[in-house]
Amino acid sequence: MVRLPYLTALTTLFSYGLLFAFGQMRDFFRKILDLWKSKNLQGYAPICLGLEDFYTRRLYLRIQDCFNRPIAGAPDAWIDVVERYSKDSNKTLHRTSKINKCINLGSYNYLGFAAADEYCTPRVIESLKQYSPSTCSARVDGGTTKLHAELEEVVARFVGKPAAILFGMGYATNSAIIPALIGKGGLIISDSLNHNSIVNGARGSGATVRVFQHNSAAHLEEVLREQIAEGQPRTHRPWKKIIVIIEGIYSMEGELCKLPEIIAVCKKYKAYTYLDEAHSIGAIGKSGRGVCELLGVDTADMDIMMGTFTKSFGSCGGYIAASKEIIQHLKNTCPAHFYATSMSPPAAQQVISAIKVVLGEDGSNRGAQKLAQIRDNSNFFRSELHKMGFEVLGDNDSPVMPIMLYNPAKIPAFSRECLRRNLAVVTVAFPATPLLLARARICISASHTREDMIKALEVISKVGDLVGIKYFPVEPQKHLTDKIQKKLE
Amino acid sequence: MAKLYEEKTTPPDLNKNTEWLMYPGVWTTYILIVFFWWLVVLSVSGCSLGAAWTVVNLVHFAITFQFFHWTKGTPFAEDQGVYNNLTWWEQIDNGKQLTRNRKFLTVVPLVLYLIASHTTDHQKPMLLLNTIAVIILVGAKCPNMHEVHLLGINGDRWPASAPLEDHDR
Repeated sequence: MVRLPYLTALTTLFSYGLLFAFGQMRDFFRKILDLWKSKNLQGYAPICLGLEDFYTRRLYLRIQDCFNRPIAGAPDAWIDVVERYSKDSNKTLHRTSKINKCINLGSYNYLGFAAADEYCTPRVIESLKQYSPSTCSARVDGGTTKLHAELEEVVARFVGKPAAILFGMGYATNSAIIPALIGKGGLIISDSLNHNSIVNGARGSGATVRVFQHNSAAHLEEVLREQIAEGQPRTHRPWKKIIVIIEGIYSMEGELCKLPEIIAVCKKYKAYTYLDEAHSIGAIGKSGRGVCELLGVDTADMDIMMGTFTKSFGSCGGYIAASKEIIQHLKNTCPAHFYATSMSPPAAQQVISAIKVVLGEDGSNRGAQKLAQIRDNSNFFRSELHKMGFEVLGDNDSPVMPIMLYNPAKIPAFSRECLRRNLAVVTVAFPATPLLLARARICISASHTREDMIKALEVISKVGDLVGIKYFPVEPQKHLTDKIQKKLE
Repeated sequence: MAKLYEEKTTPPDLNKNTEWLMYPGVWTTYILIVFFWWLVVLSVSGCSLGAAWTVVNLVHFAITFQFFHWTKGTPFAEDQGVYNNLTWWEQIDNGKQLTRNRKFLTVVPLVLYLIASHTTDHQKPMLLLNTIAVIILVGAKCPNMHEVHLLGINGDRWPASAPLEDHDR
């Protein structure tokens, strides 16, 4: 649920109209000027139709310096951003050798494992020496090491399911598994704000895809009833199977999914459930076991639980946890298991060590400390931003908090001003988000200290005033600084 | 202080090219832009009110015909070209006819026509141009014209690909 001031809606639409009009005019003149130049296509078809890359050429390239920023070190609480310059108004960017040390509010480093860790890093280096960086083989050929088998058991135990299977890439996990689970004649019902990997997997599977309104169990029930009653398109035969796909934390909204209600609806209509916990595993829940633990849902009620190791565990790769039969079926049919190179062994060791720290099996209570820290950090940051008058999305306890920007011009303004003040943020615009709802997405980490966060809040407040994104009334300034001083003590 | 903010739940329209129509303020912005351009034409050229409305009507016809009923597809590549054979008008509201947005967009050229012909006192040359403009625009927006290309004008350049083979598991 987003609240935007009416005037902001008008000005945002007007801005996009203006950008669109300018882009079309430039395209028009470019077309005329190019009539005189000869096209040396030599009979080949052009790669892009004229309209397809309009957004990239005329809107994205203008603010290209806010995206794809190269970094020069590990993405810890502080990050080294490489400076770039452009001589032709952002069409091409060149790196310099200067590096800015910035507070990192953009990396998915929820538990702080992204940089060197006292327990994980020595073990990772040891496994690197023993197993080398790559297995150079698919899982089914020669790519299953002892670490992979151990990690599958550890993940299954951590998530609370009987078995698990690993993949080298989180995105590829979704886009390769969904076609292996369902095909033509099946029905996929996915949340309207699901991640691109799920959308691509659903498209690639060949099943019919229907969408239900974000987080609305009532609309899901409506869609289920309608689809079960109608059956497959044209033949009206019953569906071969129905899978409902939802996410734990939606990365663009920062909000949790309404798991108990949705599971109740799925059980009533006998649909399978697929939960993508990319952002929630390891980050929420009392012992870090994700959204099921936080909302009190029994993991036996979820049929398939998917997650990635990139966010909370500081590694790369993804996993699927389900019953032994489903995992065995996936090991026999999934193309990513047969043909894709297996997960890098040091990366697997990193996840094993990180999970051991989170569970407290390394002999210390750093795991519990990290979980408490990220919860406190997220709640503190979110409440302070609310008090400053920003529109911040997301539920309490969620470490992802998008700050709404709305106007297209505020996206590069916010991004560049923050970078100038040594704060690295990620801004997201159309088409990753709806047109009117551009935002800056903040990801809080357990490795952010209070001083880091207060400094970041000061910068964001100053930039927010400059750019004009404090849409809601502000609490009186005097009390705010007093409260921050009190909290520091 | 009550209605200062609009509350909107995210709509499930998957086509990012058209889902911005569901948000508040779109109709108002459209009307304000037309009005603004009428003022600009008046201030720049200093012609009569009627001539300014005629100019606005004709330019509105050219722009909306080009962008609503001529260019096909979407200005970005993320949807992998599933809408490449549909004009913007055919894409909005998932192809459903006679929705509120469509009715509003059909009424606007009619209202502009009425204003333009009234303020020019229905004089001969401008009346003809205005009438042609409104007939083409409103005709193109008829539900019966959905995906119809008269005389093959602006028809499919690349026909839809053959359906995939039936893999029965």
